[in-house]
Amino acid sequence: MTDHAHEPPWIRPGTTLRQVTDDVCGRLEGRPGRLWWGGFLLSLGMLGIGLVSIGYLFLTGIGVWGLNRTVGWAFDITNFVFWVGIGHAGTLISAILLLFRQRWRTSINRSAEAMTIIAVMCAGIFPLIHMGRPWFAYWVFPYPNTRGSLWVNFRSPLLWDVFAIGTYFTISAVFWFVGMIPDLATLRDRAKTGVRKAVYRALALGWTGSTRSWHRHETVCLLLAGLATPLVLSVHSVVSFDFATSVLPGWHATIFPPYFVAGAVFSGFGMVLTLMLVARKVMALEAYITKRHVDVMCKVLLAMGCIVALAYATELYMAWYSGNPYEQFAFRNRLFGPMGWAYGVMVLCNVLVPQALWSRRLRGNLLVVFGISLLVNVGMWFERFVIIAGSLMRDFLPSSWADYAPTLAEIGTLIGSFGLFFTLFLLFCRFVPAIAMSEVKATIAHEAHEAAPADGSPPPNAADRPGARAAEDALAGGAR
Amino acid sequence: MTHSPLRWTSLAERDAMLAAAGATSRDPGMAAPSAATAHEDHAHAHDDVRTEASSGPAALDALGSAASDVSRRTFLAAAGFSLAGVLAGCGRAPTQSAVPGSTQPEETIAGISTWYATTCGGCAAGCGLIVRCRDGRPVKIEGLPAHPISHGGVCAVGQAQLLSLYDSRRLRRPTIEGKESAWKDVDARVVGALTGVRSAGGAVRVLTGTVTSPSTLAAISGFLDAHPGGRHVVYDALSASALLDAHEAAFGARILPRFRLERATVILGLEADFLGTWISPVELTHGWRAGRTLEGVPPKLSFHAQVESALSLTGSNADRRFRVAPGQLGSFVAHLAARVAAKAATSAPAPADPSPVPVEALDDLAGRLVRARGASVVLCGSNDLDVQRLVVAVNQAIGAYGATIDLSAPSFQRAGDDAALAALIDEMEAGNVAALLVAGCNPVADAADGVRLAAALARVPTRIGLAERADETTAGLSVVLPAPHAFEAWDDAEPVAGVLCVSQPLIRPFGEPRTLRECLAAWAGKPASDPALVRATFAKDVAPRAGGTTTPERLWRQTVREGFLALRPRPSGAKAYDAVSVASASPRATAPAAGRLALVLGPTVGMLDGRHAQNPWLQELPDPITKLTWGNAASVSPATAGAANLSDGDVVRVAAAEGGVFIELPLLVQAGLADGVVAIPLGYGRLGTDRFAGVGPAWIEARPTVRKGESVGRNVSGFLRLVGGAVAYAGREVTVTRTGARDALSLSQTWGSQDLPKALAPRGHERRDAVRETTLAAFSTDPAAGNEAPHVGADLWSRDHATPGARWGMAIDLGACTGCSACVVACQSENNVPVVGKDEVRRRRDMAWLRIDRYYADVPGSPGDVDVVHQPMLCQHCENAPCETVCPVLATVHSADGLNAQVYNRCVGTRYCANNCPYKVRRFNWFDYASPDSLADLALNPDVTVRSRGVMEKCSFCVQRLHEARAEAKRAGRPLADGDARTACQQSCPAQAIVFGDLNDPKSRVAALLRDPRRYRVLEELNVRPSVGYLTKVRHRDGPAKGASHD
Repeated sequence: MTDHAHEPPWIRPGTTLRQVTDDVCGRLEGRPGRLWWGGFLLSLGMLGIGLVSIGYLFLTGIGVWGLNRTVGWAFDITNFVFWVGIGHAGTLISAILLLFRQRWRTSINRSAEAMTIIAVMCAGIFPLIHMGRPWFAYWVFPYPNTRGSLWVNFRSPLLWDVFAIGTYFTISAVFWFVGMIPDLATLRDRAKTGVRKAVYRALALGWTGSTRSWHRHETVCLLLAGLATPLVLSVHSVVSFDFATSVLPGWHATIFPPYFVAGAVFSGFGMVLTLMLVARKVMALEAYITKRHVDVMCKVLLAMGCIVALAYATELYMAWYSGNPYEQFAFRNRLFGPMGWAYGVMVLCNVLVPQALWSRRLRGNLLVVFGISLLVNVGMWFERFVIIAGSLMRDFLPSSWADYAPTLAEIGTLIGSFGLFFTLFLLFCRFVPAIAMSEVKATIAHEAHEAAPADGSPPPNAADRPGARAAEDALAGGAR
Repeated sequence: MTHSPLRWTSLAERDAMLAAAGATSRDPGMAAPSAATAHEDHAHAHDDVRTEASSGPAALDALGSAASDVSRRTFLAAAGFSLAGVLAGCGRAPTQSAVPGSTQPEETIAGISTWYATTCGGCAAGCGLIVRCRDGRPVKIEGLPAHPISHGGVCAVGQAQLLSLYDSRRLRRPTIEGKESAWKDVDARVVGALTGVRSAGGAVRVLTGTVTSPSTLAAISGFLDAHPGGRHVVYDALSASALLDAHEAAFGARILPRFRLERATVILGLEADFLGTWISPVELTHGWRAGRTLEGVPPKLSFHAQVESALSLTGSNADRRFRVAPGQLGSFVAHLAARVAAKAATSAPAPADPSPVPVEALDDLAGRLVRARGASVVLCGSNDLDVQRLVVAVNQAIGAYGATIDLSAPSFQRAGDDAALAALIDEMEAGNVAALLVAGCNPVADAADGVRLAAALARVPTRIGLAERADETTAGLSVVLPAPHAFEAWDDAEPVAGVLCVSQPLIRPFGEPRTLRECLAAWAGKPASDPALVRATFAKDVAPRAGGTTTPERLWRQTVREGFLALRPRPSGAKAYDAVSVASASPRATAPAAGRLALVLGPTVGMLDGRHAQNPWLQELPDPITKLTWGNAASVSPATAGAANLSDGDVVRVAAAEGGVFIELPLLVQAGLADGVVAIPLGYGRLGTDRFAGVGPAWIEARPTVRKGESVGRNVSGFLRLVGGAVAYAGREVTVTRTGARDALSLSQTWGSQDLPKALAPRGHERRDAVRETTLAAFSTDPAAGNEAPHVGADLWSRDHATPGARWGMAIDLGACTGCSACVVACQSENNVPVVGKDEVRRRRDMAWLRIDRYYADVPGSPGDVDVVHQPMLCQHCENAPCETVCPVLATVHSADGLNAQVYNRCVGTRYCANNCPYKVRRFNWFDYASPDSLADLALNPDVTVRSRGVMEKCSFCVQRLHEARAEAKRAGRPLADGDARTACQQSCPAQAIVFGDLNDPKSRVAALLRDPRRYRVLEELNVRPSVGYLTKVRHRDGPAKGASHD
């Protein structure tokens, strides 16, 4: 925040507070455009393919997937980890960047959080449907029961997943909703028709906009941000334990928790970029999501890409240094074995392609950035696939080595998860303010203040009101 | 009175029948002696109480004949029937319900197993069985421990006979010209036809496979006596005709010698797969194993060399193996004979061609055979008379006769005469056969000239067949009669001279089958039923040879109870060795013309000659060598495949150079084959195997196991032909061309070597050491040779599994295991493992709890040769089980007796446990696997849960058997003794390679074996602490131990 004065502003100059409200709310109040309908129907179609695939799976059995006695997980858990990873950027942006007072987050945090919640919902499907008997999925919860009080196995990483993801989803959803209350109140106040007004009234929880409300609201947001921050790190660490605590060469690695977290943030930012670039264009939000936002996110993406590259290199080094022949074979096989092409795709997309972002010119070319963000997502999907299916295919006893190829039902389920994701995201864009109006307004005010000659008077924006300031200081104190 | 026109009228009736069906005891040695006679009474009784009294005069006759010995039961049953009849006449609807077991038949207790001794009908070897019956039905086949032929072993085919019993496709009622008919009509028609034939002086022929039953042979000869000029033609689809002929030439009697491998220290196998398919594999495996115990100083380990063109199970177990193309075998034997003769100071013709194997190796082999004089043997499976004659000469020169080869008490397991069948076909073609009775064989499908035979059948006016199922041969017959399964009928057998085996019915027959004996008796005008016919032969012919003073009655009861009876063998008729007639000519070497390959046809362990092609367990049993399921393929060596640019799954057209025979089959590149050879299994492509079209789950991407109208695999018996009076299985010249089509092979194992892919292997760790092996030389100096202790790192596990009582464990001797796969089918039968079909196997989703991993290793300096190891792999019941920690719902847990237990009804199916299993022994129910046949559910073991879709399963160490043994010990008020609890795989292992027991008992056999220096654990370095230990494989070789080491 040191050289903001020399940078272009986060919000296009001259944007008034009223204009923000009109820009954001106006789109929700009008009829959706052709582009939205087109996207929505396409997404619904994809979702339909997924529902058919899952329905067929439930009716017939896990055998409709290409798994076998050697490869027990492939697309299912790959998709799960992929979506959980996507779900990382939202909370990182809204919670950690809030604590670090990164003002640029205000334009994107709402949609990034929505993306998080939707991605975690997409992720949550897979542990459920990958079970042989999904109708007994509730057995993974430790609840008092009459079966001789059968308990769950607290040593199983799958159980840790249940808690880690459950907690993460709950906190993310609550954080998202609480942050949205002032904006929902704005929508309520603008709503004309009865149903619309009633729904938004209910959702706004009687928000009055009083100073006391604002004070409490800001405090709760900060507290939730504080709670959410460790979860960003814990969720994917726990997901990585699914693999790290196993005996399988290629899974059994102590580097996995940080490696997976970095990868998750990487893929999350990739997906945020993809969505923001589309939303910016389609919803004409250029005033709020500026090139400067994109530039900053590209830098984060590049940094994360480098961390991921370091993790890949460390993995290879450790395989060599460990002297463990199983480990060594697993990695030679990963690079040069039958799935070597997938490893190539992963390195290309996750390590080589993001290096283009060192160039300021390329960071400014939104088409290039869009392409890179898509490739990062592809690469991160392949990373999980290489780790999960690739390691299983050739483990200890050569007699059991087996290949894997996905079936139509698996591909359909993957398509369906994207369908669910985009369907929910498009609904989000239609019914919820995609830009956090109150926070953007604060940023506008802040920038107006910084652009004006410094006169020592406190900036007239909400976030800098004394109460909020105190809380923010208290929470962010450790980071200073 | 006939036995066969019976049907169950109620379950209670069936139960009563079963209760009476012979000796009953949990221990075959301690049976109730009255049971056998009880059965006879009941057989009569049930004949009489059929509800279908309207079925005519036969029933009335039956009633009349039984009236003389009305027992209490007969009376009550008849009274009950009469009452039912009266009530039925009162206009009320007849009661349809049956109340099973409400009045419990004697000796049948619901939920308690009863064991019956009987004899296997899977082939002519005559292995002894004890069959476990539950609630009136056989549910498991086991080996009869004291049996003098099988010694407690059962092969895969034997185990699978259970499923053959519960086969809805078996013939149930006689048919005349395809129309279902009553037996009385059949009898009338046949008797009429035969009378006509006799008065016209027409020729009557009886065509069978090898018959070892004295009573059946007596019946056939009695029948033929009544038809002057009648002949009994015996052929074997897997013929040993030349072997018999060679002995006839040398010893004046056409006998099959009995090989006593337990007495041999040097064994040379020539194209004889004696551990897998040849004549009597269980018996020969037992003998082979007996010479390889590694006990004593120096360690007892016979030297076994194998000469063969294709890689057989036996060859895969040989200490030294030579790949010799079929055209070179004669030349090899000639060279061997010459060298043996030189060393043993006898004479042999000089070989005409150069030796196909290095001269030093030949010298070494001949030297070993001669030095071990009296303890060496050559077994030759070739059906070439010249070769067999030379082998007889070799065996004579090394003193094998009278020592390792028994001529005085020979074997009867093969009696076929290829030339006789050929003569019969000629006769039929000439229209000189008036009546033909084909019983228990399928020559159209499996004999040389089967196609000619099929055509010639039409020229025989009276064509009668007795068969269990409709097949290629019955299709050409006018009268087709149902034969019983071995578990449905009384039978006797003398498979080797001096051993009489008895079969007893274990279940009421499905349908109305008749044995050949009963048919012939009926047609001779002296209708009688079993067991009377069997007992008549027993009293007249068998009992006098048994010695002792017991009455025939007591002797019969004893025999039924014990399953077999030792007799004085009849004189075999073998005369003194006649050297002149043997060593006549030296066979010449031949080689296929350029661009052609030599065809080798042979049986597989599961399919044999194809008689079990309708058995889904055997169809799905991975071939021990190729690991192929559900069909056959044309195998060529990697070098031959490379030269012809062929790869796995290419559909090739194999066409005989002459004769216009061809077949299209997928190709399989098979290590260890002689170059220039294409090997194809016999026994496939059987009529009616399209019944398996529906086997396996139905889903959108499923491919059918077999397409409608096609068959599983292809029948290649059309390539068989007669050469010099014997069927030539090898050597026919063929061309192999690619058709361009592909047909993915359904292999249960696709990576065949412990060697890692060369490009990927870390230096110094090019080979995984799941199987460790050593040489006899290294073993003699250090019993732990080849068995380096792995490095196990620091242990974070707490020893928190207390095992206060027993802790179950297993030892598997890789030196003994031949890979015969008997355990695989035993496990499948015991544990209700489903059949999943060809496509699921191809997708690597076979459900076998116990699989046999087969690894090849290249032989250094000898390109094309491979060493083979077989490793049974099952759940290792790890103490630190990786599967247990990862299950979120505790569906897999450790039991107090050291088992890794799988709780099916708690399993939600995450498959995490399978992913985390280093041995990959866990099996997931991808679908609901339906039984392949409506009757097959009767073969399910009632003690084992049938798993539903979506749950994980795996080897349980036969926990149900452990509990049964424990309950039995408790009932008897004694502690569980070592050997009380035996797993199914252990029970039937013909080589006794598997030992199971309590590791907490230091005196148990398993605990002793696990203290052996040869003991190692697979993947021990992972510190999962498996409860299964393996003993290193020791090969009779010189040189240092082989085997990779870790760290």
